[in-house]
Amino acid sequence: MPQPAYTLTPEIADVWPYQPRYKQVNGWRMHYVDEGEGDPILLLHGNPTWGFLWRKTIPALLAAGHRVIVPDQIGFGLSEKPTNERDHSLDSHASNLICLVRQLDLTNLTVVCHDWGGPTGFSMALHEAHRVRSLVIMSTWAWPRPPGEFHTRIFPWRTMHAPLVGPYLLGKHNALAGRGTYLSVVGREQFRDEAQAVYEGVLPDPASRMLTWVWPRWIPIDESARAMERFEWMEAELSKTTWPSMIIWGREDEVFDADTFATRWQKILPHAEGPHMVTGRHFLQEDSGAEIGLLIRDFVANLDGKGA
Amino acid sequence: MSEITIIDAPDLTGKRQAFALREDRVGHYDEFREFFSRTFNLDTVGLSKPGYLRAPSGMEYAVIFTGRSGEAFPAGVELFALPEALEPLDDDAVDRDLWAILGWMIDGVGAPWSRQDLETTGKVYRIPAMR
Repeated sequence: MPQPAYTLTPEIADVWPYQPRYKQVNGWRMHYVDEGEGDPILLLHGNPTWGFLWRKTIPALLAAGHRVIVPDQIGFGLSEKPTNERDHSLDSHASNLICLVRQLDLTNLTVVCHDWGGPTGFSMALHEAHRVRSLVIMSTWAWPRPPGEFHTRIFPWRTMHAPLVGPYLLGKHNALAGRGTYLSVVGREQFRDEAQAVYEGVLPDPASRMLTWVWPRWIPIDESARAMERFEWMEAELSKTTWPSMIIWGREDEVFDADTFATRWQKILPHAEGPHMVTGRHFLQEDSGAEIGLLIRDFVANLDGKGA
Repeated sequence: MSEITIIDAPDLTGKRQAFALREDRVGHYDEFREFFSRTFNLDTVGLSKPGYLRAPSGMEYAVIFTGRSGEAFPAGVELFALPEALEPLDDDAVDRDLWAILGWMIDGVGAPWSRQDLETTGKVYRIPAMR
């Protein structure tokens, strides 16, 4: 039996006034926002957030005359949340996104990727290359072995999602959507006041939080990693692309630090614009969402030959 | 010194199994799967019976192992408290017990995993059992 759709509290409507829409993707109910008209811009979130992460970015894009599509990954936000660990593979989440993009028949698409919105979004873009116009990349990766030194550490990274520890810390105590996200923004008081409860609230039960500890386990740290081949393919194929691309990074991001990650992106996509450095840790949209919206607006305007 | 004791199968008359925690992929880091296999002699016991623990609150727990075709055994592990059949759980006590069980597990898995790292992680994330 499908899970009931989660209902947002009325207070959120002021900052998230968008009509909820749903599509069935691979048998799961996916929530997405689809606002505006014009060439589409697809905003992809990661772990443990949902479309709400882009709330400060969306207005500038709508004002510039774009269609903005913001899906919640299956397992997050207002989408259905499978409770079988095997439902949460990288390929299945990429396929879910492909399913949505095909149903909406999106073309001339600017794909904006953050965190796990990267590996899923890049997989979709490479598989549906005829639909893609450009890429925007922030605080994510697309290569094997491991993305950065941080992800090889026992403390805090591997301990956090270790067997039984992950279901306890991130499941029972919602540690990633709560404290973890709080620690990964610059303006923590503002985040606590306006957003933390929203991220925690859409993951109300331990079973609904499964993807928060399953996603970290999909980050490849050695040759036995389940997604090794997918990441090897992703890096190789992205390096062949000529899509106009833009890199945006948080100055204070110590998890996906700019020296490691943005630099590597510049090597994979030497034609990419940026990196544009903004105030922000890993969840840079919380600190600089509006500025990011303007950067994307201007980037797409230049593609259109309009210039900002 | 661990606050967790492995015990023989308790008398389950008048008790119920109350779900506490589930791990579907105990072999994600294989040393954790090996710890449970070694500790509960699972190469011999297999699925024939659960393991049992006594935690700091005095509550006893069943350790139920799960198998999955094509994967090393055990594939998963589930912890069930064993309260009196109709008695509600003391959620705070169960939470502290689970934290103690995790510490016992990490001790048993051994280096490079450490209880100190686990406890520091618990403090960073402000887990009630670490306050």
